[in-house]
Order: sequence, then structure tokens, then C-alpha cells
Amino acid sequence: MKFAIAVFSPAHAPSSRRALRFAEAVLAGGHEIARLFFYQDGVHSASANIVAPQDELDVAAQWRAFVSDHRLDAVVCIAAALRRGVLDDTEANRYQRPAVNLPMPWELSGLGQLHEAAQLADRLVCFGGD
Amino acid sequence: MTTLHVIAHSPFGDERLASCLRLLGPQDALLLCGDATYALQAGTEPFAALQAANLGERLFALAEDLQARALDSQLAKVVDYPAFVELTLHHDKVNSWL
Repeated sequence: MKFAIAVFSPAHAPSSRRALRFAEAVLAGGHEIARLFFYQDGVHSASANIVAPQDELDVAAQWRAFVSDHRLDAVVCIAAALRRGVLDDTEANRYQRPAVNLPMPWELSGLGQLHEAAQLADRLVCFGGD
Repeated sequence: MTTLHVIAHSPFGDERLASCLRLLGPQDALLLCGDATYALQAGTEPFAALQAANLGERLFALAEDLQARALDSQLAKVVDYPAFVELTLHHDKVNSWL
């Protein structure tokens, strides 16, 4: 079965970790992830500038490794990301900002990608909250 | 058509659980995760609401979130992540109360 997974919470929220564990279980169960979509504060889960305390899980790094290792389609909502200062190279240049914190494997794109993912997938599962 | 409802917020902070129980269809299921698992604390108002809803085999709770809060579950069936994935497939839609 195909899953679309939407993450609405930042890397320090328990629900971001829960989304990651769910996504791992989806692949381990022999299913497919059509797309991951990071929306609202979920864009912070994709930031490369997060420094997790040494005694805590670095969920942002785990997301990055998970997406890279499985070559997943991982979209970060561009409108949500810009307003929260999560920028890729192109956007940092466009708006003349001093830092880039969204390198590969993430892709900045629009909300239409979430809609399309919901159509492509058999299930859309959203993660937010505590 | 059946829906799996997922709640992750504490039942002591807002009305999500109460609203969800009001809307829950006869075939729908409810999965409690994160702080929503506090609803399984016996003797509380949310626990009484869950008991009154009498969901039987349609109430679930995520194992690691119960464990992290030292809660046990008399009412809900405990699921791990692989079972969570299967649960989403047993229902037509998944509605997360974000």
C-alpha cells in the first residue's frame, strides 16, 4: 500500500519522532511512502541547523538520514518554510538572507504537493500534537 | 466507510477527545498517542468519558507512549508501530486531530 505522511510539528516535538517511527514501520512492513510532506511548524523538522542536546535524540538528523537512505520524496512547504526562516540555496539568494538550512535531500514546493500525495496514496496520515 | 481517529493532545487541555467521542461513527476507531494517553488514567473525567463511550475493541493506545508515562491500559488495546500501520489500513480514512 502507498502512504502519504504529513508532519506538522518541529523536530523537538514528540509527534515528529512519532511520525518518523511510523514512517520506518511503513517501509519495514513492505509498504511504500509516496511522499513525506512537512507543513506549518513541521518545516523545522527538516532544518539542517538544529543542534540537539547531547543526551537527546537528534530527530532532525534522523529524518535527514531516513529520507536520504530510502531516497524518499520529501517536500517542505515553501510558504510555511519561508516565514519560519527555513531556506534552501535558491531562496536564501532570492531574498538575500545570510544562511541556508535546507540542503538536499529536501525539496521546497507548494501545498499542491500535499494534495497530489493524498491522491496518489492509499492513506494520508498526519502527525502533530504532543 | 470507517475512520481511524488519532488524538495526540492531552484530554486535560482541550476538548478534542470530547468532540471526537461525540463524532465517532459506530464503526470508527480511536487511537490515543502522546499526551492523549493520559485519558487512560483511571479515576479521571476523560477516563470516565472513554468508559461511557464503550468503544470495546475500537479503542487503541500506542505502546511506547503508555510506557513513557507509566500508564497501563485496561480499556484500550495496546499497539506498537507496525500495528499502528496495520490499523491505518484496516480503516478507509485516518483523521488526526491536529
